[in-house]
Amino acid sequence: MTLIRRHRNLFKYSLDALGRYRMRGAVVVVTFLIATTMISAVLFTKDGLEREAEYSVNAAPDLTIQYLKAGRVVPIPAAIGEVISGTEGVERVLMRTWGYAGIGQYTFTVIGLDLQGLDLTGGAMGAIESGRFLTPDDAGTRNIVIGKLIAGMLDLKTGDDMILLSESVEATRFHVVGVFSDQSSIYTADMIIMPLEDANAFFNMPDGYVTDFAVYTKPGADAGEVASRMSTIPNVRILDQDILLRGYKAAYGARGGVFTTLWTILLAAAALIAFSQAVVVGHESKFEVGLLKTFGFSTLDIVEVRLIESLIMGFFATSLGMLIGYAYAAFFNAPGLVDILLGWAFLPKEFRLPVFVSAESLLSIYAVTVIPLLVTTVVPAWLNAITDPEIAMRRGTA
Amino acid sequence: MRRITIVAVLAIALTVAISAISFTDEAGWRDGGGSAMTIREVVGLPSIAIGTNYEGTRNPLLEMYVRPLYDIPGGYDYAVPSSFIGTPLGIPAYRETIPEFNITIKKG
Repeated sequence: MTLIRRHRNLFKYSLDALGRYRMRGAVVVVTFLIATTMISAVLFTKDGLEREAEYSVNAAPDLTIQYLKAGRVVPIPAAIGEVISGTEGVERVLMRTWGYAGIGQYTFTVIGLDLQGLDLTGGAMGAIESGRFLTPDDAGTRNIVIGKLIAGMLDLKTGDDMILLSESVEATRFHVVGVFSDQSSIYTADMIIMPLEDANAFFNMPDGYVTDFAVYTKPGADAGEVASRMSTIPNVRILDQDILLRGYKAAYGARGGVFTTLWTILLAAAALIAFSQAVVVGHESKFEVGLLKTFGFSTLDIVEVRLIESLIMGFFATSLGMLIGYAYAAFFNAPGLVDILLGWAFLPKEFRLPVFVSAESLLSIYAVTVIPLLVTTVVPAWLNAITDPEIAMRRGTA
Repeated sequence: MRRITIVAVLAIALTVAISAISFTDEAGWRDGGGSAMTIREVVGLPSIAIGTNYEGTRNPLLEMYVRPLYDIPGGYDYAVPSSFIGTPLGIPAYRETIPEFNITIKKG
């Protein structure tokens, strides 16, 4: 009971000290607030982008087969699909034609799906806000499903017609049968999905050619082994999920890394400010420490007081900074900072930035803010506390 | 309650709040993406809709691998010239010369 009362009194004393040295507290809180707001907005966004990329790669075909000619990617003959289908371990091969189409200054992704071979039993309707998804009956009808970004930019709704110009400068009219929902916009915002036949016609693909093949392996089959069995097929290049995921993580991780480096420098500056404040106040508190020791405070009590002060300041500033950073990224799309992650990319207002507060990032931020703050405030306090009280008071008044 | 006590209470409350957000996000992540996964599985394009004004970033997985491995020198990467130089379709003056073309022609 006495022990609890003692710690409670030390806690109350720490709060009083926080009030007494409020200028030091304010300087530390503001510097840490700025630093953690910036880094958390970038880290949470980076985590969000990585997570979304991981979702997409996990949902991607086990293998993507491209065709190389003179070292360059060109359309792949559809006939090769039969050879790939015959490979041991392959369950399904789907043809795919996809590419880009420009509307104004923007570029959108046009995807032609092999509707005959698709498994639609999972229900793609969940991602549709209005209208419907494509069915095998849509082949050759120029029916399309569009993303929310395109719908918003062109004021399109289900039932409207739109024209796209191809690279061969041919205008093709399409009929919108569905619009994707907000929930899927991180994936579908810029998509125009149409039947494979219509995409082939739109891109003016040579007869019997598609962009690539999506290959699904049998359950239990190792995608790497299946890929190795295809190595004798001429001109093909095989990409597996792992290579795609590593590519994504490298892209976003490297960009996030540049910012993290800059932030580390900023944090070092913040820690120095905290240390400088601790030293300035330490001079004032020398007398106080000497007095406390005269009244019977132990060295441990004094360290505990400073520890409590630093913990309150550190957790208050860091947690508040992270919450502001989270709101800045999640609700305002992190203007300014997000450019570091996205490079030349832009974020249309139609969709929200994916923000993910990972436990790893959370602990990392606490580790690099609270611990240095503890060190820079507790160490000077400990040095004062181990000094003889009389000398400490004399130094304090000097 | 004293003003300075509020700071201590807030420190705990804010820490709990951000930890709760993290816990929720982590739990959602383990859920595997939920209904949003279906459309990704159907489409099968392993990318996200970031960077729609630069083709290379829409599908960094495919295009970015092409560039370092096979396309220097030589410039297969059509995405770069189209982003920097622009295509006829990206120029308003060009589009306006196409009779009656205004992207959307008929409202349903």
